[in-house]
Amino acid sequence: MSKKSKAEERAAKAAAALAERKRKERRRNLLTIGAVVLAMVVIVAVGFLINQSRDEKADEGVAAASSTYEVSIGDEDAPNEVVIYEDFLCPICQGLEAATRDQLAQLADEGQVRVSYRPFNLFSQEGDPRKEYSVAAAAVFAVVLDTSGPEVAKELHDLLYENQPSEAGPFPSEDDLVGLAVEAGADEADVREGLENGDGEDWVEKATAAANDLGINSTPTIYLNGEEFRDGRTMEELAANLVAAVS
Amino acid sequence: MKAWAGLAARLVVGGVWIYAGAIKLPDPDQSVAAVRAYELLPGETAVTVGHLLPVLEVVVGAMLVLGVLVRGAAVVSALLFVVFIIGIASVWSRGIEIDCGCFGGGGYDPDATSKYPWEIARDVVLLALSLFLVWLPRSRWALDNLLLRSTEDADAPVEEVEELEGS
Repeated sequence: MSKKSKAEERAAKAAAALAERKRKERRRNLLTIGAVVLAMVVIVAVGFLINQSRDEKADEGVAAASSTYEVSIGDEDAPNEVVIYEDFLCPICQGLEAATRDQLAQLADEGQVRVSYRPFNLFSQEGDPRKEYSVAAAAVFAVVLDTSGPEVAKELHDLLYENQPSEAGPFPSEDDLVGLAVEAGADEADVREGLENGDGEDWVEKATAAANDLGINSTPTIYLNGEEFRDGRTMEELAANLVAAVS
Repeated sequence: MKAWAGLAARLVVGGVWIYAGAIKLPDPDQSVAAVRAYELLPGETAVTVGHLLPVLEVVVGAMLVLGVLVRGAAVVSALLFVVFIIGIASVWSRGIEIDCGCFGGGGYDPDATSKYPWEIARDVVLLALSLFLVWLPRSRWALDNLLLRSTEDADAPVEEVEELEGS
């Protein structure tokens, strides 16, 4: 065997060994990558499921069940039941209100649906400039509900949304709110008394605590027949789908 | 030098992701509301995205900081930034004023329009850093360096073989 061919043979062997080593290495790297990717996917999936389970709003059935802090329209035995948690200062609530109020009122009249509006103070963090008006508006609503009954309270509810200030202010004064209550048909002296002795704010505090206990921390939160209703990309779609669902 | 730049990019982008994700983790409902405020996703998709996003952000951030599968993590990171830039540009152009919800929060914000350009600029910078890592994923102090032994180590013998062949 010539010197040259020996060298060639040695080279071929070395090349084969190298190719084999490289192949093994690539294989090992691919397996490592696969395993890490799989691990990451599992972590994300598990985290996602945990997050999902944590967001289940208490029990939807409980949240949609009856509450003291509401004004309702429509027959109690109506085939559909809508519950809306809302804040008088929340602009999307106003949009939803404007887009559904008349239709829902009509459907309620026709016995198709019972709608319960549950105002509470969404902006309840200390120092939130929106808190004062949010509480004040709901407090006047509460006093009117207590002293003049649900029909006047619903009327005031509608007026409060029609006259909703911007979230950035300026906000109406308490006198303005009492004026709306009177416009809705409430007795001014009764309303002022209820506000002065703190009944209104007390109600708002309890209504807010009740909503918070259920994990409701955005508005509007809507329940349709015991399940949270979130079918819609925009408020307009949500409103249209809600009306369609109970029609 | 480039390896150190890669480390810096990993720490900056990864750190931002971990912070952004972790701050949203405690409140999944808020996160869903923030996604919903963009008015882009139909029906229940916003809920899924709202639940998924914070987890994904933390995992991608951790992968970048630790240096695990840097190229893959950087691709995901870059894609997310592209989506966020489109999202912010979209609400801006539609005149919707919302907090971007990037670091918790979300929902209506009356000053939003003045913040959008900065939010987009920030995301563009982070996108650029992510793309840098897609381009040059090798960097200092990355677990990848231990995890994936480079085939480059085998380069030396290759030359040896070639030399032999040439002789």
